[in-house]
This record gives sequence, C-alpha cells and structure tokens, in this order.
Amino acid sequence: MRDSHILTTENLSLSYGGFRAVDKVNLRVKPRTVHSVIGPNGAGKTSLFHCLTGGRRPTGGRILFKGEEITNRSAHARVGSGMARSFQITSLFQNLTVRENLRLASQGRDGNRSLLFWRSVNARKEHIELADSITERLGLAGKAAVAAGDLSHGQQRLLEVGMALCGKPELLLLDEPTAGMGVDDIPMMTKLIADLGKEYSVMLIEHNMGIVMAVSDTITVMSRGGVLVEGKPEEVRADPRVREAYLGKVA
Amino acid sequence: MNATGQARAARHAPENPGQGRDVFAYLRSGPFGGPTPAVAALLVLMPVALPSSTMATEILIFAMATLACNLLLGYGGLLSFGQAIFFGAGAYLSSLATMHLGAGLLPALLAAVVSGAILAALVGALAVRRTGIYFVMMTLAFNQTAYFIAYTLSDWTGGDNGLLDVPRPPLTLFGAALADLSTATSYYVFTAVLFLLVFIAVRRVIASPFGSTLIAVRENEDRARALGYDTRNFKITAFALSGAVTSLAGALYAMLLNFAPLENIQLSMSENIVIMTVIGGTGSLLGSLLGAGAWVIISDMLAEIWPRWQILTGGALILIVLFLRGGLWGGVESLMRRFSGGGAHHAPDGNPDDAGPPPQPME
Ligand SMILES: Nc1ncnc2c1ncn2[C@@H]1O[C@H](COP(=O)(O)OP(=O)(O)OP(=O)(O)O)[C@@H](O)[C@H]1O
Ligand SMILES: [Mg+2]
Repeated sequence: MRDSHILTTENLSLSYGGFRAVDKVNLRVKPRTVHSVIGPNGAGKTSLFHCLTGGRRPTGGRILFKGEEITNRSAHARVGSGMARSFQITSLFQNLTVRENLRLASQGRDGNRSLLFWRSVNARKEHIELADSITERLGLAGKAAVAAGDLSHGQQRLLEVGMALCGKPELLLLDEPTAGMGVDDIPMMTKLIADLGKEYSVMLIEHNMGIVMAVSDTITVMSRGGVLVEGKPEEVRADPRVREAYLGKVA
Repeated sequence: MNATGQARAARHAPENPGQGRDVFAYLRSGPFGGPTPAVAALLVLMPVALPSSTMATEILIFAMATLACNLLLGYGGLLSFGQAIFFGAGAYLSSLATMHLGAGLLPALLAAVVSGAILAALVGALAVRRTGIYFVMMTLAFNQTAYFIAYTLSDWTGGDNGLLDVPRPPLTLFGAALADLSTATSYYVFTAVLFLLVFIAVRRVIASPFGSTLIAVRENEDRARALGYDTRNFKITAFALSGAVTSLAGALYAMLLNFAPLENIQLSMSENIVIMTVIGGTGSLLGSLLGAGAWVIISDMLAEIWPRWQILTGGALILIVLFLRGGLWGGVESLMRRFSGGGAHHAPDGNPDDAGPPPQPME
C-alpha cells in the first residue's frame, strides 16, 4: 500500500503532435467518492480519460492505480485490474440487442478466457445474470431484446453507462453521461450516478453543473490541459478563476 | 413491446435444454437445430439432383472453404484475400504426406488441418497488426508470397505442372479398413459427412464466447477493447480456425482431382472464395453452401459454352452487391418473410444463423 487513494497521477501529460492536450496533471482520487472533472470545451478532459483508461499512451508522467503503476498497461488489461469507462460519444454494438450488449460487457472481464470456442455462451450463466440485473437497474427491462441502435438517445446513454458497470469495476470513468440527453431523462441519470458513487469510485466528466454540484465529493477544474482549481463543490463554485475560465470561453 | 421486439425476444430464447423450458427454442437454435436438418437433407438430395456426384463433392469442398471465409468476413468483418494460402497448403501437404510418407486418409487430413491452423495463425498475427485497407493488402501480399514460394519449390509442388497422381487412400481407422473411397459416390458420402461436421462445428463456434466476441469486434472494435477484450487475439484465433477448415477443403480437393494444381494457391482462388462468400451472403452459414453451389454449377455450365465466362462473374457480383445486399441467402430470407406474412425486420443477437447486416468489407 502506497497510499489510500485508488488512483494517483503524477505530472500526467499527453501531446497530440506539438499540442499539449493534457499538461502535467496531478490527481488523487479517493475510493468510493465521486470525483468530477469539469472545464470548458477542449480543456483536455476526454484526453485525460484516454490516458487513464489506456486508450492513449501518455507522453509524460505516471499513473498509479491501487498503488500499482499502470502507465503502460494496455486498455484491455486495465479492465481486468478493475477499471471501466463509458464514452462521451455513444459507442455501443448498435446491431446487437441490449441484452447481448450487456452480456458482452460482462464477459469482457474474462479477457482471453473468452477465446473458448467450443463452449456455448450460455455455459457462463453469471454473465447473463449480471446483464439482466443491470438491464433491470437501468430501467431497460422491457427493451432487453431491442437492438441498441433502436433505443432512444436517452436510453442509449443509460446503456452506455450500464456497459461500464458490467465490468464490475472498482473505478468507473464516465465521460459526459448526460451528453445530448433531454431534460426529462436527466433526473434518472443524476440519481444513478449518485448511487454509483456509494458503490464504486467514480470519475465523472460533466458539463451539467446541476449534476456536478449535486453528486460530487471533489471537483477538478481543467483549463488548457492543466488543473486550474481543485476542491469541494462549494469551494469551486465560489472560485473566481473558474468563472473566468468559463466566461473566457464564451466571450 | 412491438412486433419487432417480440420477434427478437423469441430469437433470443436461451439454449437451456437441461431446464426444459422451451425445447422448441433449443431445437431451433442448438448446434443440431436451426438449419442443420435442412443441410442434412440437402446433402442427401444433392448427388441425385446434380449431374454428377463429383460435382456435388466439389460444391461441398468449396462450401467448406466458403464457410471458413465467412467466419472471417461475415462474423469477424475481416476481408482476407489470403484464403488460397491455406487451401493450397492443405492440398500440397496432404498430397505430400500420402505420396512420400505413405500417410493414410485421416492422418493426411489431420496434417492439413493442423498445418492450416498454424499457417493461418501466423498470417493472421502479422495481418491484424493493421486494420482496414492495409489489413486487406497484407493478406493479398501474403498470398502472392505463398504463390511464389510454391512456384519456386517445384521439386515439392510440381511448380507449374502441379502435383500429379495424388492418391485417395481408403478410409481406415486404427488399421481397420472402413470404406474404399475410390468411387465418386463413396467419396461424396465421406465429404458430406465431413461437411456436416464442419457445419455443426462452425455453428457451435459462432455461438461460443469466442464467436459472440468476434461479432462484437466486427460491430465496434474500440468498444470491445474498452470492455477488456484483447481484440487481436480474437482475430488471430478466427484466422487459425478459418485456416484449419480451408486447408481441410484443399486436401479434400486434391484427393477429389487426384491432382494438386498451382491454381489452388493462386490469388484468383482467394478471390473466388471471397466471391462465393459474398454471393451466398455474409454472416449466414447456409448462404455459404448456396454461394458455393451457385458458383460451381454456373461455372460448370458456362465453361462449356464460353471459356471466358469469368468476365461475367464480376458483373454478377456487382448485381448482387447492388440489389441483393444479403446475398442469395438474404434474398431467400426476404422471400420467406414475405410468404410467412411477417414483415418484421429483426436484429441479430449473436444467433449463429444471422450475424446481422453485411459488414463493411474490411476490419
Ligand atoms: N486525436 C486528436 N488529435 C489532435 N488533437 C486532438 C485530438 N483529440 C483531441 N484533440 C484536441 O485536444 C484538446 C482537448 O480535447 P478533449 O477532447 O480532451 O477536450 P474535452 O475537455 O473533452 O472537451 P469537450 O468538453 O468538448 O468534450 C482539444 O483542443 C482537441 O481539439
Ligand atoms: Mg470530452
């Protein structure tokens, strides 16, 4: 045990060519909390998530997960060690049913054990059961047999989060779960995220300040790749630099 | 739930014969259910309905190669123009085993299967390092390389002339003679049994954790990776399985003709296998049998009338891709739907009989 934090980054950086999208970010995420990352468009939030989940190799710095260095670990191996993510731009198996999407997500933790080609998928009942319980939890039970692509946008966003839950992660990274959601669907998502914060460690990227202020334990504000401010919701809300970063963007 | 949803729900009935909840759903979807009885019936009818059992045998051999290509293309979304490598290697290696090592029938076929799997795993391991058009080009380049190797090693392969006088050993098991396969009919029966076994095995593979993941990789590789799958391993395994079956087909073909020509390993053989797969319908195993059947029958008819008939196949392929997106099997399915009254268009769910709409032809 190095420390009590589930995730720590040290001077984490990612450059696209010469452009520093993530610039020396130091983060400490406490277990079983909701840690939000906010900031204007293009601040580098999604790029930070790519580094944390292994979608992109950082160009500098280190990532420690549960005290272990994972900086160069592949994305699929990170799932095995307890990380799961959802995407800002919905990324589902559009032509497969909701149930099959979630079953595949549950099976993902098996990693290479899923290479078994002589057994039936039904031999692994636990994946089907987990898929069904998550379907229930998302309120999609009536839609289990519908193709993911035929769901409403709000339902697809829920499924997007559900796919991450099926990985039974310890750290859940949600990239704008409410992106493009209608106002009617937002309360359901807010409640879901608040509940998830009690079971998992959640990192949340979100533009909807109502949700962020309601569910977060800690907020990190990013701007131009770096960390601008970090603190409790009320501290961040009161900080003039945060207001400036957002207004500067609008102006 | 709307009609479409119900259709899907019915299709997703789990295969739980042990719980006996829905025996009929199991019959429909288990490895011996679904289209398997229909295929068995076709296998019985084919030698009677076709001009010769040799032609029927040829169809089944190419149908095996097409099934194997379909596993890659229809289920994995991997367009391989390297299938002739495995087809040709199977033909050469089994022939060499029978000619020089005196191998029996089953050991020769087993040698083809194992070497085909290994060869395909190697080709796959290198090719899947790239995606999209570069992946396709890699398979094509490997095929050209294999062709020139076969051409150069003429002491082993007979070069341009091919391997002549390839024997067709009798079927023996542990020294006991079971059947002499020298007649066209007996060889057909042997091939048909193997085809049925391969068909059932491929259905089983597609309904496995591996097969369902392969479909997921085809649908959305980024998401599959984010869910924890090392997607390359799945593609390489798909190659190995595809290579094993294709190589078996090549070996059977050499024994059918008593000859292993250089054409077996030519790029045009890979093209033909891909064309049969697309004509039949990607993502449908029955379609593969249809595609191979249509190809062999039509080429046999046209070859007598007009030696340059292959010019037409390009045109036929264009028509099918334009007007019959699911291939021949897609056409049959939509006819059946029209007659059964249900206009429902269903979504697949990893069901072996329907891997969904034709994928993008690469990666
Ligand atoms: N693949 C890429 N190549 C080059 N530049 C990129 C790439 N992806 C993102 N960027 C740039 O990096 C910066 C950070 O992008 P990122 O997507 O991380 O922002 P974000 O904070 O998630 O924004 P948003 O709130 O709009 O989602 C942006 O300026 C973006 O244009
Ligand atoms: Mg973003």
